[in-house]
Amino acid sequence: MSKPAAFSVVGMFDSAQLLMDAIPEIRAKTQARVEAYTPYPVEGIGKLLGLRKSPIGGMVLVMGVIGALAALSLQLWTSGIDYPQMTAGKPFFSWEAFIPVMFELTVLFATFTAGLGMLLLLNRLPMFRHPMLHSKSMPLITRDKFALAVESAGSELDVESISRLLQESGAKTVEVVDAPAPLGFPTLTFITGAFAAIVVCCVAAGLLTYWGMKLFPVSIPMVHMLDQPRLNPQHASTFFKDGFGMRMPVPETVTRGSIPYTVRSQEYAGDLANPLPRTDSVLNQGRQAFTNYCAVCHGVLGDGIPALTAAYGAKPANLVSRQMIDLPDGKLFHVIVAGKNTMPSYGADLSQAEGWAAVHYVRVLQRALNAKDEDVASVQGK
Amino acid sequence: MQVRKGDVKRILAACAVLGLIGIAATAFLAGWERFWANWIIWFLFLLTMGLGCLFIVALEHVVGAKWSKPLRRVPERLSSLALLMGPAALLALLSLQSLYPWTRSESLENPLIAGKAAWLNVPFFSLRAVICACLWAIAYRVLVTGSLKQDSNQDPRFNLRARRFAPLFMIIFGITITVVAFDWISSLEPLWYSDILGVYVFAGTFLAGLAATTLALLYLKSRGRLKEVGPDHMYNLGGFLFAFTVFWSYIGFAQYLLMWYANMPEEVFWYKVRLEGGWGLLLLALAVLHFLVPFFILIPRDAKSNPRFLFWTAAVMLLAHWLDLYWMIFPVLGRGPAFSWPEFSFGLLFIAGGLIWIRHVMNRGQDMPVGDPLLAQGLEFRL
Repeated sequence: MSKPAAFSVVGMFDSAQLLMDAIPEIRAKTQARVEAYTPYPVEGIGKLLGLRKSPIGGMVLVMGVIGALAALSLQLWTSGIDYPQMTAGKPFFSWEAFIPVMFELTVLFATFTAGLGMLLLLNRLPMFRHPMLHSKSMPLITRDKFALAVESAGSELDVESISRLLQESGAKTVEVVDAPAPLGFPTLTFITGAFAAIVVCCVAAGLLTYWGMKLFPVSIPMVHMLDQPRLNPQHASTFFKDGFGMRMPVPETVTRGSIPYTVRSQEYAGDLANPLPRTDSVLNQGRQAFTNYCAVCHGVLGDGIPALTAAYGAKPANLVSRQMIDLPDGKLFHVIVAGKNTMPSYGADLSQAEGWAAVHYVRVLQRALNAKDEDVASVQGK
Repeated sequence: MQVRKGDVKRILAACAVLGLIGIAATAFLAGWERFWANWIIWFLFLLTMGLGCLFIVALEHVVGAKWSKPLRRVPERLSSLALLMGPAALLALLSLQSLYPWTRSESLENPLIAGKAAWLNVPFFSLRAVICACLWAIAYRVLVTGSLKQDSNQDPRFNLRARRFAPLFMIIFGITITVVAFDWISSLEPLWYSDILGVYVFAGTFLAGLAATTLALLYLKSRGRLKEVGPDHMYNLGGFLFAFTVFWSYIGFAQYLLMWYANMPEEVFWYKVRLEGGWGLLLLALAVLHFLVPFFILIPRDAKSNPRFLFWTAAVMLLAHWLDLYWMIFPVLGRGPAFSWPEFSFGLLFIAGGLIWIRHVMNRGQDMPVGDPLLAQGLEFRL
């Protein structure tokens, strides 16, 4: 291996004033980067060294604004457009509710930019070994000497002339600091070893926590969401006075967006007319409702012979029979809402529109299984 | 045209007399309610300015700050405004019958107000006002009069005394400023309550003190006094202004957000009145002047020590502080925002009177605490 090139030439001065006097001279006579090392902050040295104003403020401002806008658009989109949900009767676009999150994200973006930007971009970290730290000058600088370093910063240094220059401008001694030998540090073995160590630590910590909690159950964490006090549907509960977990609707009120169904018996339901037109979207909605709720017993074709029937023991109605074809829409609808014999009511599961759409779809099935020649012709014509 | 020293004095005196005539006319032509509402706004404006300055002085002693030593005389002198407003507070006790609903016997029929009667009654209210004024006078005597004496006797024991007393004053200040907020502002609408109002008023008070200190300091510097107070000292003042304008907005918004979320009738009615029509616009102006303008002006590093920027920020801040008090207090008259000759006369009287007083105290004694053994360290302060 060849001798490493010089990292910097360091001149040592006895006082801050001597150092400050030398800086403009040196800077005028060399293009290389000039750096000062002092035992305490020396006022005005930054200006002499030509340090430019840190760009960190601007970066933080820009990222802070981006953070605020990100939080704003996230909340506008999720709670106003994509999944609008009424909360406490407030409008979907409630800027008041967005402010806390905007504040937090502004701070988060700004502080991360400040911290990481300073360390990684401006301070050029991670740097594992700075050559200066191993120089002979460093112990003196931390005591009472002031150093001026002309650094190579990538290009080759003319060690001879710079040493002379430093001595001419008042340096007592001059030291040439070698460039660092290439690091044998982040090798593959090191990286795999580090990862293995992290994995081992995680597993060990997990096991330790698990067994620790098992053997010394001082405070048991809530592991299962099932193990929490709450009201279960269709279960008894001591929370309410009547002992039921579920609530009845408040008397003399109507659920928002629904029309109460007041027909008491199937007998009178025959007069109800299907309010929906037979459009594609309505029929699709009907098929959806039928497949989700009806087909499990009545079969996908509505003929009442699905696989489930044998296990269930009941005999569901054949919806495509002559009797059903002659049954008025209203009576079919009434059975969906109110139930009949062993069939339960679906009034709570299906909206009235979905019920009527399902009735339309049942008519489609009836027509399809009793198709006439002209029906076939019209389908083929398409 | 060159304005001579005697002229300024005469102009200010003329303004004060004009204002005095104006406020007398207010009482008879516009009614006592409007008179007292203005009185309370303006006396609180000067009182909070003085208390804020007293707080700045105490803060230096509590944390042992050295950078503020060279400019400490400015808030010390301005804090005498709090003493001056003691009598104004006693006069304002006369407003209780006309402006504060809980003093009327029929309001006690409301069980919510009757439940507060142990706190909201005229004797106890007056007692609190007097006790607060006495506590501030004691604090002024220990912290400011002691500091003035130190100029001549160079006694370093004052520093120790102030350091022991200042933490106690912090507690006294916290309690008395909350009492001011609850008594003079909140109890104007006795059904409303907000726990955080004391902190909100404190934030405004501290900002008012900082802004007044900054303005007075810049004025003195423009007159060639306090030359040793350099850009590094100004930077710290600018930093304080910057930080506490955010604090004020944070507290103000926190109060609003919780009430807006809960939406309970006993709380939101206060905001409902103050968000409708002209008052809503005024709140918008408050957000712009009290937060957005100072915040964005003071973001760059150089702006915090730039005299021009600092001057305008501090001036806007004082205006915003007045607007803040106006927005909280004036709506109880049950009308929209009005700025007519009564408000103008009150402004004339209190601003001219305040300036006469400030000019008077600013020309007494030394400009710096020359007896303070730590002054030299304060003068050497660099960022």
